[in-house]
Amino acid sequence: MTEFFRLIQNENMKIYRRQSAKVMLILLLGLILAAGLIVKTSQPAPKENTHWKQELVQQNQVLEKQQTQVGGNRQAINQIKKTIALNQYRIDHNLKPSGGETLWGFVSGAAGNTVLLISIFTIIVVAGSIASEFDTGTIKLLLIRPVYRTEILLAKYLSSLLFAVLCLVLLFLFSWLIGGLFFGFDGAAEAHLSYTSGVVHQTSWTLAVWKDYLLNGVSLFMMVTVAGLIAAAFRNGGLAIGLSIFMMMGSSIIVTLLSGYSWVKYVLFANLDLTQYASGTPLRSDMTLGFSLVVLAVYYVVIALAGWLFYTRRDIKA
Amino acid sequence: MANEPKKPAVVLEHVTKKFGRKTVIDDLSFKIYGGEVFGFLGPNGAGKTTTIRMIVGLMRMTRGNIFIQGHSVKGDFRQAMRQVGAIVENPEMYKFLTGYQNLVHYARMIPGISKERIGEVVKLVDLEERINEKVKKYSLGMRQRLGLAQALLHHPSVLILDEPTNGLDPQGIHDLRNYLHDLSRREGVAVIVSSHLLSEMQLMCDRIGIIQKGKLLGVETVSQFMEEGGGKVRFTVNDGAKAAQTVKDKLALNPLTVLTDAFELAIAYEKIPVVVDTLVNGGTRIYGVESVTQSLEDRFLEVTGGKQHD
Repeated sequence: MTEFFRLIQNENMKIYRRQSAKVMLILLLGLILAAGLIVKTSQPAPKENTHWKQELVQQNQVLEKQQTQVGGNRQAINQIKKTIALNQYRIDHNLKPSGGETLWGFVSGAAGNTVLLISIFTIIVVAGSIASEFDTGTIKLLLIRPVYRTEILLAKYLSSLLFAVLCLVLLFLFSWLIGGLFFGFDGAAEAHLSYTSGVVHQTSWTLAVWKDYLLNGVSLFMMVTVAGLIAAAFRNGGLAIGLSIFMMMGSSIIVTLLSGYSWVKYVLFANLDLTQYASGTPLRSDMTLGFSLVVLAVYYVVIALAGWLFYTRRDIKA
Repeated sequence: MANEPKKPAVVLEHVTKKFGRKTVIDDLSFKIYGGEVFGFLGPNGAGKTTTIRMIVGLMRMTRGNIFIQGHSVKGDFRQAMRQVGAIVENPEMYKFLTGYQNLVHYARMIPGISKERIGEVVKLVDLEERINEKVKKYSLGMRQRLGLAQALLHHPSVLILDEPTNGLDPQGIHDLRNYLHDLSRREGVAVIVSSHLLSEMQLMCDRIGIIQKGKLLGVETVSQFMEEGGGKVRFTVNDGAKAAQTVKDKLALNPLTVLTDAFELAIAYEKIPVVVDTLVNGGTRIYGVESVTQSLEDRFLEVTGGKQHD
């Protein structure tokens, strides 16, 4: 085990000593800071609102009317029901909604897009880690050690995933800090209200944000593995990066194009977004969370196995 | 080690490598022993590097097997590699890391290498002053020395060096030669060297294996190899062409080379006076007679049939 830990240490050293890793981390923090500045300057200063309960009651009355008008649109009805329930909960428990952006609002808002950015970074890292040693020729001195290629590949893969975890932790801490500095640390104690199957729960924001990271992380995890496979198969980092980012960006288009066919549910990209089950509106009505998890697991095993075979079985000619 | 019967350090058994239908290495079998420096010779594209890659497990054999200190490279890769230190082709290290970080990287891959050992090899290859600089700032010679350092970290009993003198200055080559000799004699390490500098190998190696078009032409000691070439004698005369003709007519000897003022013959030592007499009688004026030792290079070209055309 310590032997394997040393391999991880090696791969970490090769990731973080490169200029590119530093640039990526600085870019990540810079973007969060920029987002904070933009939100801060673009929104008016929050006014003291003493009539918030009345306003929520009014809003709910309007929504109740709308609900009868939208007719059969399940998604719209769900959304309206959710807003009504949350408003009612605030009125009942005396939880004043904030006038503007809050610390947690910022942290949560930064999650979605930034996780996509972290996916791209991690794809770059994993492709570089696996393929670049073939370009530079260092693969030869790496693979003539008393260590199996499987272990080296696993160390490269895991250290790349650790890079993603580091980015997520940095994202969390830094967006919390920026959120606090710009929108007040008093918002840190705010409760998170969630709505599931007609009931409102009061939960921790930290958990809610990490749940969000995790759901977005499914796509990250799969696409990083795909990038690893391409890097191992073609020994070409650029190709692996380009192809997997292209697939990731184009996945929603692909799914939309194929959405008419019933077999779309077996396509990897249709199952990457697990938030479709949390919102209660899956792509196809016959898809469930369990189904998606099984499809993802099958894809994962096939991709990982193929990558492993390419890396361990082929001759090193570099 | 000294009194035991010699066990081979590296054994190649009917090693064959095919790329598709093309046979690159054809039924290669030979043994290399601890305590010797073995030179691997062959023109470019003959299969030297492919063979070295198979020994260190970078390429799979199509047929045959390789054993290092009794451990099969195929079946017992870890144990086999534990014995091996190598540079395969150029010593390509991580340029964005320092020399020291590179060594730490390789040291982590083999248990039991202490910080002191890393310091030792750094000192050995004379890189102490520059070891904390990034490798991208190193000259080729320094990279070569760092490559040697990583190969020696774990006290390997088999050391494989591909073109080790590449980029070294004359002093560096001299030091390396002495060091490899020491390593093989004192510590019983089997050293395998491939080089295109044939004159270098003449000084460095105990035995050489010649490979051409994937086939082993022979394994011989350097002295055997040289002797078989026979003596070559150079006669410096007033008229090379005329003298060569005289020798041809009177003694039925075919000159190897004919120049305007000299010619060369492959003859035994005892025959020199006969040739001299014949020439003098034929009216040729002789300015000098010298025996030319054939270099390994000439002998090599002779054995492999001149230049290789791929």
